[in-house]
Amino acid sequence: MAEAIQKKLKAELEKYTQMQKDVSKSMSARQKLETQLTENNIVKEELDLLNSSNTVYKLIGPVLVKQDLDEAKATVAKRLEYINGEIQRYESLLKEMEKKSEQHREVLTSLQQEFQKAQGLTAGKV
Amino acid sequence: MADKGKADVERVGGAVRLRQEHQKVVRDCESRIQHWKKVSGDYEALSDRLQTLPDQLSYDIMVPFGPLAFMPGKLVHTNEVTVLLGDNWFAKCSAKQAQKIVDHRMKYVKNELDDLSKTMKNFETRVGFAKDLETISASKGDYVDIREEVGNSDAAVAKGKQRIAHKPNSKPKLDVVWDLKEEDEENEEEGQSRKDVMTEEELWARLDELEKLEELQDEQDRLSDNADMNGEDTSSSSSEEEKEAEAAPPVNGLSLKPGWSSVPHCKAPLSMDGKKEQDDEEEEDNCLPTIFFSHTVELKKVRINTGKNTMLKFSERKEQKEHSKRKKKNGHNNGHSHHELHKITTPADIYRLFVDVKNGEPIPRKSILKSRSRENSVCSDTSESSAADFDERRMVCRSFSHDEATHSDTSDGITEEDSPTAVPLQLPSRFEAFSGTVVEKDPMPTAVPHLTIAPPALPTILERKQEEVAPDVSPPQQAPKRVSKFKAARLQQK
Repeated sequence: MAEAIQKKLKAELEKYTQMQKDVSKSMSARQKLETQLTENNIVKEELDLLNSSNTVYKLIGPVLVKQDLDEAKATVAKRLEYINGEIQRYESLLKEMEKKSEQHREVLTSLQQEFQKAQGLTAGKV
Repeated sequence: MADKGKADVERVGGAVRLRQEHQKVVRDCESRIQHWKKVSGDYEALSDRLQTLPDQLSYDIMVPFGPLAFMPGKLVHTNEVTVLLGDNWFAKCSAKQAQKIVDHRMKYVKNELDDLSKTMKNFETRVGFAKDLETISASKGDYVDIREEVGNSDAAVAKGKQRIAHKPNSKPKLDVVWDLKEEDEENEEEGQSRKDVMTEEELWARLDELEKLEELQDEQDRLSDNADMNGEDTSSSSSEEEKEAEAAPPVNGLSLKPGWSSVPHCKAPLSMDGKKEQDDEEEEDNCLPTIFFSHTVELKKVRINTGKNTMLKFSERKEQKEHSKRKKKNGHNNGHSHHELHKITTPADIYRLFVDVKNGEPIPRKSILKSRSRENSVCSDTSESSAADFDERRMVCRSFSHDEATHSDTSDGITEEDSPTAVPLQLPSRFEAFSGTVVEKDPMPTAVPHLTIAPPALPTILERKQEEVAPDVSPPQQAPKRVSKFKAARLQQK
């Protein structure tokens, strides 16, 4: 009886750790997105400050490619939107994962209690 | 003692851990501040360089060639600077423009530095507090825990909150207001708080009634997309009358499906949206007899003055809607008929008003509370399942009757006031509303027993239905005698 519970406990624990890893992965991805967001915001501001006299380049690999100022602005804006969307997606994903991990946690605690009870019983019996 | 010691140890351990965590945060903040300071220094150097760079057209420099070699070379185009804007975007600018960008970034860095220093300060103070906590939990000699029990206020607040719990329908806004009021009172004078609590109970009751009324109203509004003209008129007039009648929070409405209504107060106008107003007026004239109306139609709101100076609202928007067709069939006499017929002084008037027989339609009016009656037909009975609806309404009525102050709503029975006149005015078979007894100023307790009485009365009404067709004509003559102020006001409004 106790062993079965132990096995169950282990399985649940593994699942839980897996969930935690996923959560942390999503979190780090989201953080990356956040930094990108701030960076793109800065770029947008800088581009707004510029006038068309000075050329804008984009670094693609080892090459600096000339870009049109308006094009650059549009591209940056689009990228900003994309990043925002991604952040939202990751947030919702994180929430879901949190909920699932909560459930797992509850299951774990209940299993642990059972296990302890079983242990207590066996100890009492012994 | 052992447990206490254990608790202390735990507390000390907790405090130690807290302090350690705080210190970690502080250290993190410090490192970040260092980083930003370096960045700031770099930018300053850059700014200097940019200022001096355009001084010469070209510079002789040693150009780095790979990681280990240098080559003598010249730095040309000293005013052209390619600036990294971020995220692999570059912009070619003049030195001055680059300078502006650098200044911009310096500002950003400075902001970050300020924020970090603030957080660091916060956490440093927290660390200090955690240290104190440690010493407190470790050695209980020097520090004393000061606690202040607030007994009465808690109880009073709890009372209010308990009330809130009991009445889930209560509006949070109102609750908050009341709670604050309670708290204020308590804070000021405990003695007074007692009295205030008492009065607040009444207020709570009234609030609940009001809430129910509003809920019903909302339902009605939702249900009735197109209110009849009459209905609107009557409702508006009734609402106005209500306002006139009672300055205090009078409007307590219970939407009664079966259309049970009791009006305990003579003064309080029993206003009913739509055709029912006539009945209400009659009740008023008779010192607020309770009239039981049965509806087979949808929810209706009846404004009834209960004993506690509350008003029950009763509206029949749905019925009015359905009646609109009939009204059109019977001619648009609703407005006029209302004026004529709203002079209900006896229960007989009600039956007169609520019977559609005059129009040649044999359909008896299911309930008096239905929309206003026309000349010929009082209440067009649109619903057909009177029995079922009646039961529903009765249940609703009973539920209401058990509410605090809106007992009048649920009174099924009718006081004996106008029983003699009421008898001939029996509603048609399907109408269970009027059992023939009118209750004056009927409080909850009296109303409740009527509920049980009501059902048996229904069949009797059914029998009399045919007989009453003829007597219906007579009641109108009596109507002009007495005009309740409710009706009068409505007349004036119209």
